[in-house]
Amino acid sequence: MDNLIYLDNSATSFPKPQVVYDFMKEFYQSHGVSPGRSGFDKALEAEEVVHSTRKMLTGLFNGTDPNHLTFCYNATEALNRIILGTLSRGDHAVSSNIEHNSVLRPLNHLQRDGGVEVTRVPFDSRGYVDPGDVKKALRKNTKLVIINHSSNIIGTVQPVGEIGRICREAGVPFAVDASQSAGAIPIDVQDMCIDMLAFTGHKCLMGPTGIGGAYFGEDVPVRGTVFGGTGVRSANPFHLEEFPYRMEAGTLNTVGIAGLHAGVKWILEQGMDRIHDSEMLLWDKLRRGCQEIDGVVTYCAEDTENQNPVLSLNVEGLVAGDVGTMLDVDHGIAARTGLQCAPLVHMQLGTDKIHGTVRFSVGPFNTSGHIDAAVGALREIASIGRK
Amino acid sequence: MDVVKVDGIELHVDGDGFLQDPQLWTEAVAAEFARLDGTGELGPKHWEIIRFIRGYWQESDMAPTVRSLCKQCGLRLQEIYSLFPGGPARGACRIAGLPKPDGCV
Repeated sequence: MDNLIYLDNSATSFPKPQVVYDFMKEFYQSHGVSPGRSGFDKALEAEEVVHSTRKMLTGLFNGTDPNHLTFCYNATEALNRIILGTLSRGDHAVSSNIEHNSVLRPLNHLQRDGGVEVTRVPFDSRGYVDPGDVKKALRKNTKLVIINHSSNIIGTVQPVGEIGRICREAGVPFAVDASQSAGAIPIDVQDMCIDMLAFTGHKCLMGPTGIGGAYFGEDVPVRGTVFGGTGVRSANPFHLEEFPYRMEAGTLNTVGIAGLHAGVKWILEQGMDRIHDSEMLLWDKLRRGCQEIDGVVTYCAEDTENQNPVLSLNVEGLVAGDVGTMLDVDHGIAARTGLQCAPLVHMQLGTDKIHGTVRFSVGPFNTSGHIDAAVGALREIASIGRK
Repeated sequence: MDVVKVDGIELHVDGDGFLQDPQLWTEAVAAEFARLDGTGELGPKHWEIIRFIRGYWQESDMAPTVRSLCKQCGLRLQEIYSLFPGGPARGACRIAGLPKPDGCV
């Protein structure tokens, strides 16, 4: 459907800026060689794009060393590397109910099979984790606190700076899942005392799917969990300890990195704050419009402060999946429905019993007209629900 | 696993009432599923939809998209819901004997 109104940007941003498509094609056609490893000029030029992307992202997160900005497939893989590389049998971890399965499941596996204890703190009625709860959950054997920065279901932005300072004071490594926040809102790993930051390229950073990564602070006690080729010091029988090699193995996704490079550059040119402000204006319009419809229930959407442009709702009398299908087929609007891979959020909201929610997520290419169409469609659908 | 009895034959269904073995589907099974889920008696329009879904699945081993279902049957989605209160997936596809569709539910 050519005129689809896309409101599923939390799943992946779409479309990408034209410069992303153009640069990926141009780069791969002209520099689709193994970066750096072979030593000829083109390989070194390809490596330059990889390294300049490390530098750009390190700058975006206010990190200190671009070599500590490591690439992998996506945020899920980065989070697995953080969790599996930090925790051992007998350790304790603190996390929250706001997490995505990319954090919940690795922790659940370690809890079930790896002798690791996990405490999950709840979020309050407005959708925020209380840093005091995290502090209370810390134990002598706590080796990791890992918290979602911005919820993929309700969009609330957690006070990670406050939590980070608590962890730093307690000497506990602090990791943040920035899947929904990297590229959308400011992240300062130094000021927020973030030791490990996982990001994905294909959401707010406007890159393609298949590229993500993690930034690691100095002296973070993380083990590598993947081993293999690094392109340097091949005679060493073991994987290299220094960054970025510690967390990377095999040939990088250079075309993905090129797309990410173009995406981040576009964000910096447009202004991250300006993009966010414009999205939040649309989100606020959407929230108000939906809340005025009889039979529509929204979740944790009270104001625009500490919030990303994600809105979850239900229509009385209809299952979320059916509302999503009606939005798609009868109104040409793409939204996400169901549990959105974060089941504990729904369990705490009570929406797990009614097949989850309908989720709208606004992106940089949405317009006021898109929001009018979504509210109008929802009004029509809600009138069916009440029959 | 639940069991539904049709014409004296016991059919296994999953927790959401989807037929475990789609090959065991018959029109009598469809009629019984429709009776059980409140769709009621199946009329010509119901059968047109069921046969389209069934034929598509037999040919491609997957359910048709809802959009193609509406287009093929010349109906708005809301009309599908008025015919199958369970909607295209939990209603029409289930009555047509298809396995439960995947999805983050």
